[in-house]
Amino acid sequence: MSIKVRLNPMLQKLAGGQEVIEVTGTTTGECLEDLESRFPVIKQMIRDNRGQLRRYCSVLVNSESTHPKELTTPVKDGDQIDIVVFFGGG
Amino acid sequence: MLTKNDLTRYERQILYPDFGEEGQKRLKQSHVVVAGLGGLGCSASLYLTCAGVGHVTLIDCDRVELSNLNRQTLHFEEDIGEGKPISAARKLTELNSSIEVTPVFKKITESNAREIIKGADLVIDGMDNFKTRFILNKACIAEGIPFIHGGVHGLFGEVTTILPGKTPCLACIFPEVPHGKVTFPVFGVTPALIAILQVTEAIKLLAGFGSLLTGKMLYFNGETMDFTFRNLVKNQNCKVCGQKMSKNEH
Repeated sequence: MSIKVRLNPMLQKLAGGQEVIEVTGTTTGECLEDLESRFPVIKQMIRDNRGQLRRYCSVLVNSESTHPKELTTPVKDGDQIDIVVFFGGG
Repeated sequence: MLTKNDLTRYERQILYPDFGEEGQKRLKQSHVVVAGLGGLGCSASLYLTCAGVGHVTLIDCDRVELSNLNRQTLHFEEDIGEGKPISAARKLTELNSSIEVTPVFKKITESNAREIIKGADLVIDGMDNFKTRFILNKACIAEGIPFIHGGVHGLFGEVTTILPGKTPCLACIFPEVPHGKVTFPVFGVTPALIAILQVTEAIKLLAGFGSLLTGKMLYFNGETMDFTFRNLVKNQNCKVCGQKMSKNEH
């Protein structure tokens, strides 16, 4: 299974500058866990104390929203996951 | 109708083939609301004013503070304590007395947002918090007014143009409004750059040429100087703009 996770610029910095990380998993949640196991600091950024995705983060699969199944959406070989972080400042 | 002064003042942009006198006339007839007079709003309203947008409404409920001055370029030391729309409107009127600048010193809420933006040709997002951005997003969808979103954090920024009924809106991507207002790190150059991209979108949209940042988010990474895009898809179940929404729910 080849699933690619594309990171937004803020998360890229936490992944050593990489924009695309190849991960394994059958759901978005499993793919994110694989990513977080390699880059624990990303977990701190995108999840709250209860392990829920923070509201300023969104998970897209092939550009489509996964809400309300951000962590349970099935993924298949070739899918692309985007983790989007909302830049709220002005 | 363009005056002799207009033709002189805007000569260099009128020379642009796809814009011309017709484009300038369209800008002159336009009304743009700049929501928020912080880092984004100051630069956005400055360039809207320079470009000759006929009516610019400036709305914010905050007063100028010393800590604003690293990025909010229309506010000076002597303006500390003054309402931001008043401070900004004074500078913009000095810059271009031929346009109408309307300062509105008021907080945008669920109950007044639609009334504030009603009749505008577009709204520029210059907010500094999630909640009001999503109120504006909803109000723009309900009123059918284009909404040019911009956001910043540190040396990172993002821009997308939302056309009601045609493109994804903010709630398509972030269905739950993120919590609270946080004090975020920022250099002045980041909102300046993002605001100028927002105004570039505004000029094209109002004058009717070029292509827009619709259905995609442009990201700027100031640390690496990369510009990247993410395609965005309209969420049919979106609580704000989805097909399941009836007009009454708006």
